[in-house]
Amino acid sequence: MSEQIATIYKRMKDLPSTHILGAGTPMCAGCGGLQALHEVYDILGEKTVFVNAAGCMTLLAVYPFTPFRGSWLYTSMSSAPAGAQGVRDALDILLAKGRIPPEEDLAVAVLTGDGSAYGMGLSATSGAIERGLDFLYLCYDNEGYGNTGQQTSPATPHGAKTATATGPAGFGGYKKDLFAIWAAHRPAYVATVIGTEPLDLARKIEKAKAMKGPRLIIALAPCPTGWDFDPQQTVEVGKLAVKTGIWPLKEYENGQVTHTKVPSQRVPVEEYLKKQGRFAHLFAPQRDEATLAEIQAQVDAYWAGMEGEQ
Amino acid sequence: MYRIRFHGRGGQGMKTASRLLGTAFFLAGYQVQDAPRYGAERRGAPIFAFVRAAKAAIFERGIIREPDLVVVADDSLVPVPMAGVLQGADPHTVMLLNTGESAETWRHRLNYPGTLLTLPAEAAERAELRFVGATCAGAAARLLGVIPRETLAAALHQELAAHGEAVVQRNLDQALAAFDAMAEHAGCVGEGAAVGLDRAPAPAWVELPVDPADAAAAAIHAGATSVEVRTGLWRILRPVIDYARCNRCWWVCSEFCPDSAIKVVDGRPEIDYDHCKGCMICVAQCPPHAIAAVPERQFSEAKA
Ligand SMILES: Cc1ncc(C[n+]2csc(CCOP(=O)(O)OP(=O)(O)O)c2C)c(N)n1
Ligand code: SF4
Ligand SMILES: [Mg+2]
Repeated sequence: MSEQIATIYKRMKDLPSTHILGAGTPMCAGCGGLQALHEVYDILGEKTVFVNAAGCMTLLAVYPFTPFRGSWLYTSMSSAPAGAQGVRDALDILLAKGRIPPEEDLAVAVLTGDGSAYGMGLSATSGAIERGLDFLYLCYDNEGYGNTGQQTSPATPHGAKTATATGPAGFGGYKKDLFAIWAAHRPAYVATVIGTEPLDLARKIEKAKAMKGPRLIIALAPCPTGWDFDPQQTVEVGKLAVKTGIWPLKEYENGQVTHTKVPSQRVPVEEYLKKQGRFAHLFAPQRDEATLAEIQAQVDAYWAGMEGEQ
Repeated sequence: MYRIRFHGRGGQGMKTASRLLGTAFFLAGYQVQDAPRYGAERRGAPIFAFVRAAKAAIFERGIIREPDLVVVADDSLVPVPMAGVLQGADPHTVMLLNTGESAETWRHRLNYPGTLLTLPAEAAERAELRFVGATCAGAAARLLGVIPRETLAAALHQELAAHGEAVVQRNLDQALAAFDAMAEHAGCVGEGAAVGLDRAPAPAWVELPVDPADAAAAAIHAGATSVEVRTGLWRILRPVIDYARCNRCWWVCSEFCPDSAIKVVDGRPEIDYDHCKGCMICVAQCPPHAIAAVPERQFSEAKA
């Protein structure tokens, strides 16, 4: 279905080879969130204004430095979509009054972490979708409150150790299904992406860019610091998230969910977990067979439920 | 009062080192302050942490400007001005460096006024660097000479217990080995004089004229000003492309580089060393393995 619109990103060589996000940001070496952002920004282009809720990426634009080519607005964790409404309204008024020509219009993009998207900012997002706000939401999901030292967030997966889930079993709760929550609002577009699958990401952002209304993207963001792996493993960890099926790449449009990259032979999920220090207690001093089996069973159940859908 | 400053990069465990040493001091009957200090930068950026310990109440606050002991986990920080490794070092100050080179070389290179000692650079492997904090704390404890071996071990158990027995054991081995290795220099660090208010230097007042707001905090109209920040200083490993092996693929390295630090010119990737933070994703992902990870110190040696 996703092939209906002709994409200009047919193969890897069609991806941009120069990048518009400036270097010199204070994100960690190997940050998977920054990787996704630079890929998204390359497709969205310079005429984008970012509305950013508190989180790691707040530090991107610290006066007088910014990696963006245009404006950036900082909001509280709970209110980035409300901030986007204000920016969109202001632009619309300027356009209507003829104070800026149509070619100077900007795309409005919300940029937040998972703590904001899955938790504190959910109500403001719900309202913005309800009002049909014309904006793009990019959530980089590092599965915790990264900026403040990786405390548990509503996106933290079962079993992961965080700064607030330090017990022998890690986090006892379960990751919230934000894709389903967003899609239930019936916005124009919802998609999951990851920086380590840049072609899939580019096609989705290209598609979202061409649409109007609320378009919401969740990028899984392997986080060397919070997930505890060597920064050079960011891409490997991200690719395993897709190959094991724990991070399904999919999109929602016109009431339909489509998987855009179905792992043909799913790699056992423990290959993904093993790479990350936050799951180390599942493997040593002895294997926690029950938790490993539970996580695998959840992944299997997800894909079993999807059968016949693709 | 003892004043100890630990220098390292985010992720090298200097916060842990100061915590371990602080707790060891506390268990040895001292009053203690320990605190890490870093800004908005993250893993890889220069940071420092410090410990004050005294038998009496400590009224001094803020960062340590007159250290008795400076511990440097990563010798590539020494020439970086913003890291401030040498700040306040005088003939009384003992400096302990984690380095692959000899103490003699460093004494000579820095024309260092005080005692300069080295830890054997056991932590050249980045994955091992997470234990260098324990090594630094162990060595520092011995140089101070007032912390018994068992007290160091007890502090380590207390601070790291939540990480599990294996982590505790690994760190304990490192810390105690460093403690033992420094036997020859036990107690070489002396207490610095207390700095009371009477000895505090008079503040150097600076007159700040009131500027119009738009001059004091000018609006920035340029884009991508972040390039003025040289994050290349974070690097301990440098990715180096062997152009004979690079097969001009679909710029895997450039696409995956989170930092926009690899641009592609006519199919040929070029690394921007002013900004590359040294994550080594490109080294791991390059399909024909055309990018090598070379320790930064090899380049500083070549320059010296
Ligand atoms: C209402 C509120 N509570 C707490 C904070 C402190 N805080 C700043 S950033 C942050 C973490 C945000 O997590 P997330 O949205 O996942 O972004 P990340 O830091 O992981 O990039 C927190 C808790 C805040 N800014 N506002
Ligand atoms: S803590 Fe994680 S998400 Fe935040 S900047 Fe570092 S790597 Fe990126
Ligand atoms: Mg987060």
